[in-house]
Amino acid sequence: MNIKTIAIALTVLVVAVLATVLMQKGNYVSQATEHYEKTTTNTFKGSSKIIEYVSNSIDQNKLVWALACDAVQSVKTSQDMAKLEAKYFPTTKGSNSLSKKTRRFEATSAYFIVSSFDKVDEDKKTQLKTLSGLNSIDVSALLGQVAAAAPAEEVEGEGEEYVEE
Amino acid sequence: MNKKKFKILAIVDAVIIVALFIVMFTLKGQYNEQAQTSVKEQVGAYQETANGLLQEQWKSVDQYGMAWKLIFTTLTGNKTEASFNAAVKAIEGDKEARFKQLSYTFTAAGIPPKVQNDINEKGGLADKFLLKDEKGVKEVACGKNCVITFTFAKGKLKSSDYKALVEYNMAENFKLEAPATFHFE
Repeated sequence: MNIKTIAIALTVLVVAVLATVLMQKGNYVSQATEHYEKTTTNTFKGSSKIIEYVSNSIDQNKLVWALACDAVQSVKTSQDMAKLEAKYFPTTKGSNSLSKKTRRFEATSAYFIVSSFDKVDEDKKTQLKTLSGLNSIDVSALLGQVAAAAPAEEVEGEGEEYVEE
Repeated sequence: MNKKKFKILAIVDAVIIVALFIVMFTLKGQYNEQAQTSVKEQVGAYQETANGLLQEQWKSVDQYGMAWKLIFTTLTGNKTEASFNAAVKAIEGDKEARFKQLSYTFTAAGIPPKVQNDINEKGGLADKFLLKDEKGVKEVACGKNCVITFTFAKGKLKSSDYKALVEYNMAENFKLEAPATFHFE
């Protein structure tokens, strides 16, 4: 191998090494960007899910509270209660328990109220039995004083998504 | 070119190659450190934003729950200003009950207890409830950008306005922005 070949080979090598030097920053940027995007996207998705699920749950919760607060001011009979339920929840109906003299309205398995009445009335013509004399409304479920009902869907893996600061 | 010139070229090339390798390894360490620092800082900043928002929502739901409890207690009680003031104190002071109510709402939403505890440990419960108490007019916080009003005249409840709470839209008040583009600094 003569000196000419060696010189040319080394020149080519210089160009190759120079290109590597120039490109190495790009590689680090690319790796860092990939890691950043993966991590922040997980955080974004996890946190957004929590915010969304809680907001949706609150949308149900507030209507049950509004129903209960409206009811204590205006309801006298189970029929009044049924009308009020239909106002806030057009597709969900409560149910009476004549033996307990209560009416239970369940918006979801977690959010429900139980209204207690003084007596059972019977329409002599139709023999339809209703409750009258609203006594109290039990909002224990809205105050978290009952065993928590299993949610329909649980946020997956957000234990990892909620990152310690 | 003659043989001597090629020889000089080969020697210069060899020196440049050695120099480039030194530069390359020096930069490698620098870039690596720079990349790690940039990622750590920017990921940390975003996570802080996200966690901050979750903590703010947690506090907001706490205020929301307390506000409903206060409305219900007021409407079913004797409707006096003294009872109202006592209810505000009792509700705000019972942190165990607040956490229970808050946790129940989050559990109903499908948020695991571990996440709830993490949020609560970092952010804690809301520190504001009764916002204003002037001449019988009481303003109570019911969440972020949510205020309800109770008006008392001669010690008795004259009116209660909790429309803001009935219409409260939590989703509109809590929106997490998508992460910004990464900058290699």
